[in-house]
Amino acid sequence: MHFLAPIAFAFAATLPVVVVFYLLKRKRVVKLVSSNVLWRKFLAETQASAPFQRLRHNWLLILQLLLLALVILALARPYFAGKTSGGRLLVAILDASASMQSTDDDPSRFELARRDVLRLVDSMHDTDQMVLLLAAGHTEVKQSPTSSKPALRRAVQSCTVTDAPTRLGEALKLAQPLVRDRADAEVHLFSDGAIGLLEEFKHEGLNMVYHRFGKRAENLGIVTLDVRSHPDDPSRRAVFVSIANASTNPAQTDVELRFDGQLVETRPLKLGARETSPLVFAAAQRADAGIFTVQLTAKDDLAADNQASVVSLLPQPVRVLLVTRGNRFLEKALGAVSSVGLSVAADLADDGAGYDFVVVDNMLPTVWPAGNVLAVRVAGTNWFGGGGATNALSGFGVVEAPPIVDWKNTHPLLRFVNFDDVGIGEALAIKTPPWAVALVESPSTPLILAGEAGRRRVIWLGFDTLQSNWPRKTSFPIFMANAVEWLNPATATAAQLLVRAGDPVRLTLAAPLRSPKMVLPDATERTIALEPTARELVFGETQRQGVYRLITGTNATQICVNLLDPAETDNTPRAELELGKYARIRATTTKQANLEMWRWIAGAGLLVLLFEWWYYHRRTA
Amino acid sequence: MNPLLSPDLLRRLEQFQLLAQRRAKSATKGERRSRARGHSVEFADHRTYVAGDDLRYLDWNLYGRLDRLFLKLYEEERELPVRVFLDASESMSFGEPCKFDFARQVAAAVGYVALCGFDRVSVVPFPERAEENVVRGALRAVRGRKSALGFFQNLAGLTASGAANFNEALRRGALEARRAGLAVVLSDFLDPDGYEAGLGALVGRGFHISAVQILAPDELTPATYGDLRLVDSETGGQQEVTFGRYRLAAYQQTVRNYCQRLREFCTLRGVNFFMASSATPLEELLLKQLRQAEIWG
Repeated sequence: MHFLAPIAFAFAATLPVVVVFYLLKRKRVVKLVSSNVLWRKFLAETQASAPFQRLRHNWLLILQLLLLALVILALARPYFAGKTSGGRLLVAILDASASMQSTDDDPSRFELARRDVLRLVDSMHDTDQMVLLLAAGHTEVKQSPTSSKPALRRAVQSCTVTDAPTRLGEALKLAQPLVRDRADAEVHLFSDGAIGLLEEFKHEGLNMVYHRFGKRAENLGIVTLDVRSHPDDPSRRAVFVSIANASTNPAQTDVELRFDGQLVETRPLKLGARETSPLVFAAAQRADAGIFTVQLTAKDDLAADNQASVVSLLPQPVRVLLVTRGNRFLEKALGAVSSVGLSVAADLADDGAGYDFVVVDNMLPTVWPAGNVLAVRVAGTNWFGGGGATNALSGFGVVEAPPIVDWKNTHPLLRFVNFDDVGIGEALAIKTPPWAVALVESPSTPLILAGEAGRRRVIWLGFDTLQSNWPRKTSFPIFMANAVEWLNPATATAAQLLVRAGDPVRLTLAAPLRSPKMVLPDATERTIALEPTARELVFGETQRQGVYRLITGTNATQICVNLLDPAETDNTPRAELELGKYARIRATTTKQANLEMWRWIAGAGLLVLLFEWWYYHRRTA
Repeated sequence: MNPLLSPDLLRRLEQFQLLAQRRAKSATKGERRSRARGHSVEFADHRTYVAGDDLRYLDWNLYGRLDRLFLKLYEEERELPVRVFLDASESMSFGEPCKFDFARQVAAAVGYVALCGFDRVSVVPFPERAEENVVRGALRAVRGRKSALGFFQNLAGLTASGAANFNEALRRGALEARRAGLAVVLSDFLDPDGYEAGLGALVGRGFHISAVQILAPDELTPATYGDLRLVDSETGGQQEVTFGRYRLAAYQQTVRNYCQRLREFCTLRGVNFFMASSATPLEELLLKQLRQAEIWG
């Protein structure tokens, strides 16, 4: 026999207490009476003079000690190592996204949800197991399957709410293999339903219970924020903001724009029911870099989306080197892009460090450029696996007059680009490598690829532009303008400095950093351990929104972490969730409440036993 | 002014006369019928004349009819000795009102009725107390209504203290009495050694006994609750008790049982028994209960 709770044997200390009760006599008030005759007749059995009496053989005492011993034994939860059918498996998914911070529930949706998870833990049977998943920007397994309630309670207590959006699909995908093939498994989702769409998720008969939180949607939030050159006045900056009203009532607020903490402009805004309204601010920027902060002054249930910041870097001329034996179309198309400072060379003798990116047109330069590359009919080392084929003319098959059957017009490179009438003489035959996506495809080979190879952005054209009619089409200069934007490292840097809460900060490093430190919005510091050879810095602790500062020696880089998620801003509690295309789950109204009470009852039994003795003693003394 | 009995009560008591069911055995002449033949107005019997008899008592009418000489015999009227056994132990000094005061009042009333009937009254307080010998001696034999005032004063001079031996006191009282008569026992009957031997001795001596048990209200319904150590006022014996309201009924039942056993003991031996709380109105006991029991009438 073993014991699940051997600590309960500590209650054995109450056994001597019962014996002492039997030994003990209480202090009395002395009173002179005429005669004791009547009292003696009445109470012959209670005569004693010492505080303790001799312990007499008393069945009541023996029964009480026996009862107490049994209760203590029960509290120690003895068990035999036998075999029983396993209990249920509960998978608790606790939504820790920003919308759970809403204060329409008191104190907040998240606190209520956490309380209910604890209640679910309390209601578990001894053989039940539970997994606790914390779903926010990422899904975190707070507790792997266990029956230990203390461990589960600790795990629940350690959960904190974040400013990140919900990626519930990830949590459900994590839960699915756990509960697969188990009829007694239950998935309990503790959420407000503000989780975006889950269309790609396949339901597959999950036994799911949805515990809904939240009462109303009284929220205004910033859902998009961007800063660019002003289209009309290149010397000024334009801040694009979208503000959404999640409420079914009209709302109004003041929108404040600040630059590096200085108030630039305040604009009143009225929003209709469930309306999203765009705003454009124009502001002058004197410093090369600074932070625009947009803030909503109206009070609402969710504070996390009332403020958003963006790093604004003044545009610098893009230095482009075109390495070609002669291609006027390409030269003109690149030169037409307003911010480009174009240089043309017949060959490349160094790695092109002085340029933002290099265009290699249908030739193999002496030194391959180190930065971003637009490669036309030429490939870098190991781009297409194996062979080391770097020569444009060797190692590849050739496809004659490949027809263009498909292009990805959702990719930023193909914005406003159309390949309807484009004909190509011949193209290299390759297979799409893992690092790239095919933007333009023919049935036998991809024609244009884009991707990141070795932390460098690469656009690869599989055909000579001069052997096609594309340069004569309007789509060609547009593509080149898109390519300049996409390959410009400053664009990537700007993108790296605006991160959504929960996503990691990734910064490409030009040179190794020495002891970098990240200062969080709440002023706490984190030292980042970085290998000397590392080319990229990754920092994952971006659960809270705000401005993060990366300090390396005397330099400081500011990174803006924002919520900017329409699904979270729309914090309407949803009674029904759509999972995939066909399945829906409804919020439960009844809560499971099979709380274990035997400990309390056994404890009460102990108290009653002690009280019974005291009362008996009082009556018969 | 009499501190024991009010003038009004005294006036009402004057109307009573002790009713002795037995003939008076006293040697002293009084106003009680006795078995002895003597000179009174109550005719008792006839007897054949023998020489030497007093010719004044010859029944001449009978002689005229029967022509034989008979003597008319008359009852001799003698006094009824009344002994009042008064418990003056420490335990009687308890109670509110005090049990001993109540007992003295009863003794005074009985004594007054007896004195009014020209009976001899002796009050026997027990236990013995040397310092009260003068007072007690004066209460030993009182006769005549004129002695009532002194009787009351002496009675008022008694105090209750010390430990009594009830049985011993009554046995000695029975032996000391030259003639049996009426005995009134005033006590709480709470002697640790019991009361049976003492009452039995009186009964055996031929007394006509009335026993009055006097208990204080606090003894009938105790008002002190909690964890107590009770000390006996006479013996000093200790008794530990935890007493509460919930046990009151059980205690009262014990008291009733005790009194009932005493009553049964008395009834079996022809003893009149009365139980009175010291808070009972005196008139209630004297004018109703004793009268109904035909102690006096």
